[in-house]
Amino acid sequence: MLEIEIDGQLVNAEPGEMVIAVTDREGISVPRFCYHKKLSISASCRMCLVDVEGAPKPQPACSTPVADGMKIHTQNDKAKASQKAVMEFLLINHPLDCPICDQGGECELQDVAVDYGSDVSRFSEGKRIIAPSDIGPLIQTDMTRCIHCTRCVRFGSEIAGIMEMGGTGRGEDLKIEPFLKEGITSELSGNMIDVCPVGALTSKPFRYELRSWQMNSINSIARHDLVGSNLYAQTYKGNVKRLASGDNDAVNETWISDRDRFSYEGLTHDNRLLAPQIKVAGQWKEVEWDVALDFAVKGLKNNILNSRNVQKLGGLASATATTEELHLLQKLLREMGCENLDYRLNIKDLDNAIHLQSNIKLADLEHIDQAIVIGSNIRLEQPMINHRLRKAQLAGAGITTLNVKEFDFNYKTNDIIVAPNEIANTLAGVLRVLVEKSAEEVPAYLLAVTPCAQAIDIASSLLNSDKTVLILGEHVVNNAQAASIANLITEIAKLSNSLTLNLTVTANALGAQRVNFVPNSTGMNVNEMLAAEMRAFVLLDVYPEYDFHHLDEALNTLLNNDVFVISLNGFKNDLVAQYSDVMLPMAAMYETSGTHVNINHEMQSFSAAVGAPGESKPAWKILKVLADLLELPGFHYENSTQVLSEVAHQMTPVHEYDTAINLDKSTVEVETIWTHSPYHTDALLRHATSLRASKIGQINTASINAATAKSLSLSDSDTYLGVPVDITETMADQCVFISSNQATNTGAL
Amino acid sequence: MNEVCFKNIDKDQCWSLTTYEASGGYSVWRKILKGEYTPEQIINELKTSGLRGRGGAGFPTGLKWSFMPRNAEGQKYIVCNSDEGEPGTCKDRDILRFNPHAVIEGMAIGSFVMDATVGYNYIRGEFIEPFDRFEGALKEAYETGLLGKNINGSEVSFDLYAHLGAGAYICGEETALLESIEGKKGQPRFKPPFPANVGLFGKPTTINNTESFASVPDIMAHGGQWFADLGVENSGGTKLFSVSGHVANPANFEVSMGMPFKDLLELAGGMRHGAKLKAVIPGGSSTPVLTAEVAMNMTMDYDGIDKAGSMLGAGSVIVMDDSTCMVEALTRLAHFYYDESCGQCTPCREGTGWLYRVLKRIMDGKGKAEDIDLLMGVQEKIMGNTICALGDAAAMPVESFLRNFRDEFEYYIEHGKSMVKG
Amino acid sequence: MISDNAKKQIDSWIEKYPEGKQSSAVMEALKIIQKENNNQLTHDSIQAVADYLDMPGIAAAEVATFYENYNHQPVGKHIIRFCHNISCMLNGADDLISHLETKLGVKTGEVTDDGLISVKKVECLGACVGAPMFQIGDQYYENLTIDKIDKIVDGLK
Repeated sequence: MLEIEIDGQLVNAEPGEMVIAVTDREGISVPRFCYHKKLSISASCRMCLVDVEGAPKPQPACSTPVADGMKIHTQNDKAKASQKAVMEFLLINHPLDCPICDQGGECELQDVAVDYGSDVSRFSEGKRIIAPSDIGPLIQTDMTRCIHCTRCVRFGSEIAGIMEMGGTGRGEDLKIEPFLKEGITSELSGNMIDVCPVGALTSKPFRYELRSWQMNSINSIARHDLVGSNLYAQTYKGNVKRLASGDNDAVNETWISDRDRFSYEGLTHDNRLLAPQIKVAGQWKEVEWDVALDFAVKGLKNNILNSRNVQKLGGLASATATTEELHLLQKLLREMGCENLDYRLNIKDLDNAIHLQSNIKLADLEHIDQAIVIGSNIRLEQPMINHRLRKAQLAGAGITTLNVKEFDFNYKTNDIIVAPNEIANTLAGVLRVLVEKSAEEVPAYLLAVTPCAQAIDIASSLLNSDKTVLILGEHVVNNAQAASIANLITEIAKLSNSLTLNLTVTANALGAQRVNFVPNSTGMNVNEMLAAEMRAFVLLDVYPEYDFHHLDEALNTLLNNDVFVISLNGFKNDLVAQYSDVMLPMAAMYETSGTHVNINHEMQSFSAAVGAPGESKPAWKILKVLADLLELPGFHYENSTQVLSEVAHQMTPVHEYDTAINLDKSTVEVETIWTHSPYHTDALLRHATSLRASKIGQINTASINAATAKSLSLSDSDTYLGVPVDITETMADQCVFISSNQATNTGAL
Repeated sequence: MNEVCFKNIDKDQCWSLTTYEASGGYSVWRKILKGEYTPEQIINELKTSGLRGRGGAGFPTGLKWSFMPRNAEGQKYIVCNSDEGEPGTCKDRDILRFNPHAVIEGMAIGSFVMDATVGYNYIRGEFIEPFDRFEGALKEAYETGLLGKNINGSEVSFDLYAHLGAGAYICGEETALLESIEGKKGQPRFKPPFPANVGLFGKPTTINNTESFASVPDIMAHGGQWFADLGVENSGGTKLFSVSGHVANPANFEVSMGMPFKDLLELAGGMRHGAKLKAVIPGGSSTPVLTAEVAMNMTMDYDGIDKAGSMLGAGSVIVMDDSTCMVEALTRLAHFYYDESCGQCTPCREGTGWLYRVLKRIMDGKGKAEDIDLLMGVQEKIMGNTICALGDAAAMPVESFLRNFRDEFEYYIEHGKSMVKG
Repeated sequence: MISDNAKKQIDSWIEKYPEGKQSSAVMEALKIIQKENNNQLTHDSIQAVADYLDMPGIAAAEVATFYENYNHQPVGKHIIRFCHNISCMLNGADDLISHLETKLGVKTGEVTDDGLISVKKVECLGACVGAPMFQIGDQYYENLTIDKIDKIVDGLK
């Protein structure tokens, strides 16, 4: 520990720390533009120049390491003169178009200029003008305002891991711009808006909407993935107008993915379900809430309760629901004696479902030495988790991927391409090597396994590394050996002392698990329900063509006239309208309070940032009233916090799962892996216009190699299951990998 | 005259290995290969010699070499700065053309001292003829077994390569030069860390000017004291002066440090057409301009020029006679810095353009009375506030031209035309 | 996009740098490509160089636009790079540039109608004791006079 003096005040500092880190900690204000605590030092804006005793020239606080006994003046004449000089230079070519600038009111240049600028400019020459350029649907550029701090450039190369912005030209002509004709494409690109200190890079969907001071800023949580990034919902007159990243080093540091940032646009989409509706004689009729709820209760009574066939009632929910909503729905069903409930709508065979722990914290991911990523395009599917892995890799960790296709990672990976039906066998080979190296006996199921070269490599990389993690991704959820793959991973983890990360579930699936939103042994799971003779369903935010794996069976069951369907939805959907008897409009993300359980197993609660539009109401309230009308006990909640506290006091029952490993290969000739492309994973995203227009939002490809394409008589101009074919050689044989922004065409699978 | 870097300049094929070796070239390097020197000995000789960095900063070379962590693990680099581009400066071009082997031997000696087994000579992109000469010399040196790995079976290895620039004055700044070798824009790095710790490709690196390296073989061959005695106190040795402008015989002259300016002017044939001396920029465009009177009483060494109010810089003497319009001369220099600013740091990016535009406006007859104060104010605000010395280099001419020739600027502003040219 | 001959030349530069530091060769690679493409760089040629050296396109574009030796607009077969900095200015460079412009019927920055010659004013080329001077291709021409310029320019084919 060193002692230094800043403005006459003695403070402690760590060796190697920069002066600005100390002043920030001590609350001493030093102006800056290029410095950003999460980016490399640039020292180029010169705004943070301070006077260091003994140094002939003023020194930038951002790049001056502390030394014991150093005496620093941040406010004396010399420091002020330099700071004011820099400010004057920054302003001469700045347009000062604050009245029409979206950054106005939250502009670092504006703020600092108030303290350090001069009223009158001495600059009477012509100002620099940069022609506008279009860098994509998410970020608006006004580069005439750019002060060349290069935060966006450094963000790209250091955090996004893809250098898209750069500084071309030199001197006064230095221009910050992308080179790619398609503009900025990174999945984290929106953070450039947050790091830009001026109005050069602003949110395109938010352009000219409002001034920052007109909005309320509410802490919230993104719910599109397992991270639960912390963010601010900025609202005006009941609408979310913008989302900006929040700080939480244990979760998202200070970044959010574009998916988290721009999804809010869906909230005001025309397709919102705004009023309760009941179906009378096959016709939809908008009604008051009490009418709709009475209708729902009557339906449940007629179809289920009066005839005491509660086993013919089912409850299905989307994993994007809040923990409170999931809790209330399961409670409602269980109070009626119904054990038929599920959120795993996308699983083909629940006897072959993946059960794998997630036991590594997000922040610890960046400290691992070796990761094995199985079945995931983790960069696009889990951007913030990928960000941590990237940090680990840059610090020297090895990242091996085991995928059916080579994906574009933003760090160095060792990619192993395997066919879907070879994944289990490859992992079995890894396990066999590990078992042999340990003192344990080789179990029977491994006796016939001969480890391939890659399996041997994976095993030795696990044994030779200290901190290792095995990551299982969503591409294997419906693998013919899904359960075995998960069980193999658990075994490998045991023997190699690895941690595991289960990314086969997403959104608030961990919340669903926490409230036990799965049937016990007496109930039916989703696929069993769809195959059974049912009389009623309560569906929580379900969009059948995107959510059900067995779409045909689902529609068969739900469209049956004898089945009474109560649907709670945030958005209108034709199929929902066809099979439902009551449609209850529910609040979407940011419109309700609730809790999301993230991959760290943290319960992150949030309040409603805005009210729900039209007649729609938070689902927890709808479910509570429904329970009251059904005269079910224990639903006397006044707010969602009371629901949460009930959850907190309940234990989640431990389910026993089959840990058997079966290495019998699938005999399907061509395996198809269907995934939703990254910006189409939930209803809100599917209605977010700008995201959909972005390059990632446009992803809609069926990847296939030439040999397999030939065997299926497909060419580049064809579609497969309605998805355009992309023939690529970095792809396993006998499989098709689909990343689609269309509805799941499961009928053909 | 012509005792060190230029000692063979009048010989036929003065750049050839044969010529170089005939005058004792590579004798020091061969001794090093035989193990007859220690790094400490070489550093001590250099310190005794009083050799100071010939690129412009004048930092003692022996001291610089002693800063390199020679025992640090891993690769270290030695780099020669032949990115000559400061207006008035053209000496390194001639060293490369006429004595490339001295640069190679100097770098080789340095590589041994600092245990830097790989070296690069950064030659400005336009210097194709010098580059070809240097490459030719490298080929000769490799073929003769003077470079490579485990040279002549010794423990000593040294691989040397030439890197070409592509037109950017700023790459003469040593850290910009390193960035440029790494295939990036030539933007200076902030310091610390210094190149001796984090240099080329992140490794410890020493960078010296062409003339500094070319002086080392003779210093070692004849001893540091011999070199020191060639010059004066605090300015050991000889120095190449590029004398250009309004002189009868502009040329590069290698003379002893401490020579009176008037003698140097005489060597250059005196003023062209017998015109009257008006002003001298003694060390390259970035050094403050001096009036004739001050210049004629100045000696050409670090202290002598400092006393006169300027700097020796790279020894680039720009001589101006009384037909010179100082407003025009300064505008041209201001344009240079405006054009060559790398743009990364604010005061230089914005300030150099501001200075140039005000001067240009004055030249266009649209000057305002307050422009002189404005120019002084702007240069003052650039000075000392930038990452590298280019900011200061842009500021100093403005300050000195306005201080020494203010009346010409006032006249131009008032009358909308040059006091000298009408 | 990059010819085999260009690749060979680029590779010989890559060899000078440590393994994995092939982007050090970008400045020469861009010059090589430029030479093969009418002395001019395009978006695609910059991208091709970047791809060949395994670096981001924008990083190559930064280099291509930072250094003065690259051309992004059409230029002549021969580019006369006339120094107009102080030593050359003191020795009459401005008048000589005017003469050249008149002779060729172009302004600096323009190309002659036959596409043969373009004239560019450049900063100090480091030959101040030979002022006034210009550069054509790899060659410096020093101590220029009107007669000398006429002869040199007339000899350009």
